[in-house]
Amino acid sequence: MSWRDKLGRLDTKYTPYVIIAPFFVVFGVFGLYPLLHTAWVSLHDWQLIDGDQGFVGLANYTALLADPNFWNALGNTISLFLLSTVPQLFAALGLAALLDRGLRGRAFWRAGVLLPNVISVAAVALVFAQLFGRDFGIVNALLGVVGIDPVDWRAQTWASHLAISSMVVWRWTGYNALIYLAAMQSVPKDLYESAMLDGASRRRVFWSITVPSIRPTILFTVIVSTIGGMQLFVEPQLFDPGGTATGTGGDDRQFQTLVMYLYEKGFRLFDAGYSSAVAWVLFMVVLVVAVVNFTVARRIASKG
Amino acid sequence: MSRTRTASTTAAALAAALVAGCGGGGGDAGDGKVKLSIGIFSDFGYTNLIEEYQAAHPNIEVEQRTVKMEQHHTQLATQLAGGRGAADIVAIEEGNITQFRQSKDKFVNLADYGAKELEGQWAAWKWNQGTTDDGNFVLGLGTDMGSLALCYRRDLFEAAGLPTDREAVGKLWPTWEEYLEVADTFSAKTPDKKFVDTAQNVYKAILDQTEEGYFAKADDSFIGDSNPKVEQAFTLAASLGEKKQTGALAPFSQDWNVALKQASFATTTCPAWALALIKAGAGDEAAGKWDVAAAPGGGGNWGGSFLAVPKQGEHPKEAYELAKWLTAPEQQKRIFKETGNLPSEPAAYQDPEVTSTVNEYFNAAPVGQIFGNSAESLEPTYRGAKDAKVTPVFNNALSRVETGKQSTSDAFDQAVGEARDAAK
Repeated sequence: MSWRDKLGRLDTKYTPYVIIAPFFVVFGVFGLYPLLHTAWVSLHDWQLIDGDQGFVGLANYTALLADPNFWNALGNTISLFLLSTVPQLFAALGLAALLDRGLRGRAFWRAGVLLPNVISVAAVALVFAQLFGRDFGIVNALLGVVGIDPVDWRAQTWASHLAISSMVVWRWTGYNALIYLAAMQSVPKDLYESAMLDGASRRRVFWSITVPSIRPTILFTVIVSTIGGMQLFVEPQLFDPGGTATGTGGDDRQFQTLVMYLYEKGFRLFDAGYSSAVAWVLFMVVLVVAVVNFTVARRIASKG
Repeated sequence: MSRTRTASTTAAALAAALVAGCGGGGGDAGDGKVKLSIGIFSDFGYTNLIEEYQAAHPNIEVEQRTVKMEQHHTQLATQLAGGRGAADIVAIEEGNITQFRQSKDKFVNLADYGAKELEGQWAAWKWNQGTTDDGNFVLGLGTDMGSLALCYRRDLFEAAGLPTDREAVGKLWPTWEEYLEVADTFSAKTPDKKFVDTAQNVYKAILDQTEEGYFAKADDSFIGDSNPKVEQAFTLAASLGEKKQTGALAPFSQDWNVALKQASFATTTCPAWALALIKAGAGDEAAGKWDVAAAPGGGGNWGGSFLAVPKQGEHPKEAYELAKWLTAPEQQKRIFKETGNLPSEPAAYQDPEVTSTVNEYFNAAPVGQIFGNSAESLEPTYRGAKDAKVTPVFNNALSRVETGKQSTSDAFDQAVGEARDAAK
């Protein structure tokens, strides 16, 4: 074998690895390493500025499990996740079905639904904070028109959860709708035609043909939304009038999410060890919820 | 073959870019100039001064970085922890400096460059706040200070049948108890307006007039649960909230600005630096409607910062020189005229140029005199190393009273419990 041939064979053998390597290098540096380092930090009494103050084993984790603020944050996170993800995905499905029809100015509408997603989340939070202002907010003004007393959106648990969820729903519905739309367009048209010939209603066609046909896509959005929902941070953090000064998510922690709690512990109270423990527990929770979601969603989707 | 070569050159280029990327951060500019960065929050009034300094020192280039106050300190903590990224000169607020004093090994001891000779420039307490190890370690040079006054809206006072002249208003409330009585009068006459923006600021003002707050001066131990002054201040401020005489606003928040614009509250505690915030929030249409009176309970300190030099910087000596120049009396005077930030040096705040300053927006109030007088009688409260951790706990508790979620005593008990944990 000539030198050139040898090189050629090496080329076909190893070049693919070289080409995919950047992803794994980047993942290793920015994903795996921080994950492992966080695990290491979480086993120590670790102060943000001064660093390692000694090995404490699982003490941070046992403290965490007995910490009512942690459970409160977990409950808030789940509540916010359910309040925002469920309506969001249903709305996205409906929106996609509408966009899938032969609308006039189709491109305009399709691009339009993505707009909320392009706007900076900080700007969204600022605008919504103003809409949901207690004394001079538009939402309360509108409620006043129909005779409902003004709501203190930040002070009440359910009200704050609704307000924050509305931000998330507004921001992500269009994004998911476009993903559904893309999937819907690949559904074979003859399926629809034969259903129409059999006299099926639009509703029936939607639930019996469209939805089952885009099952994998629904699954994908459910999992992505789960991961995003469990890491909710910027919207509630900016909704908090105390901002990063407190980071407690309202005066009674009524809308403090897990990531906000992590931030409070790590970056306001400088307890990096404890904060790392929160990060790892959050990682586990996301894994568990994603797996549960996956199985449930697959079962529902396969029934169609 | 050519494919492999392309891949490996790409990889090499990527690696080079990564290394180059990591190597950045300050240092010398290509033209041989010394590059200094200064990290601040709010408005320190440095923009013009820096230009002048650059003109006088052609070999120095200064970059100003401004972020929001809380973010600034959090960022600084992370940068100190990571060992890189901090500005060559960083501002540290009075409420946070005790926390950073714990990690003084991350900062340059300015005494090494002769800072101790400057001691006489500052009010003694200001100098002490910026130093540690019995004054042998100089962590930061004082910038402004925040002696206290009380701002009030003349039109709302008039509507409530209260005096509007600033002397007479100051005499209404020699003590905070009397301030509460004025609140009752005000609310009875004008029930649709709030007397004060937030209970939190009243609480802080009262507490800042005591010698000790949450921590003991002697050994820095937590005394928030046993110091009667803390409970007194809390109860006084909370009673305004219980009676719905506060706007229940988070201080200096977006809502606070809106409420200012809508003229929905009549008084607010105002340290010198707060005048600029009130003016910005209330806008031009409220010019002349706000005025400044003496605060109940005499003077007090609220805010004011220090300039420190993190060790990770490459040019500590040049950084020190700039910090020294920016905090010198001559510059402090000019900053006061520009932004209203009160000098922390007697030579500056006693200067006729400062004492004769009036603020047109605040109905031509003689702010130089008001704040200067307040500064004279000022005895700052002791701040513990964990002050910044404990303070938000009590603020949240007051907010719970204002929103009607808890009674004053329940809120206080919960706060004390949480504070004990936070101070551990």
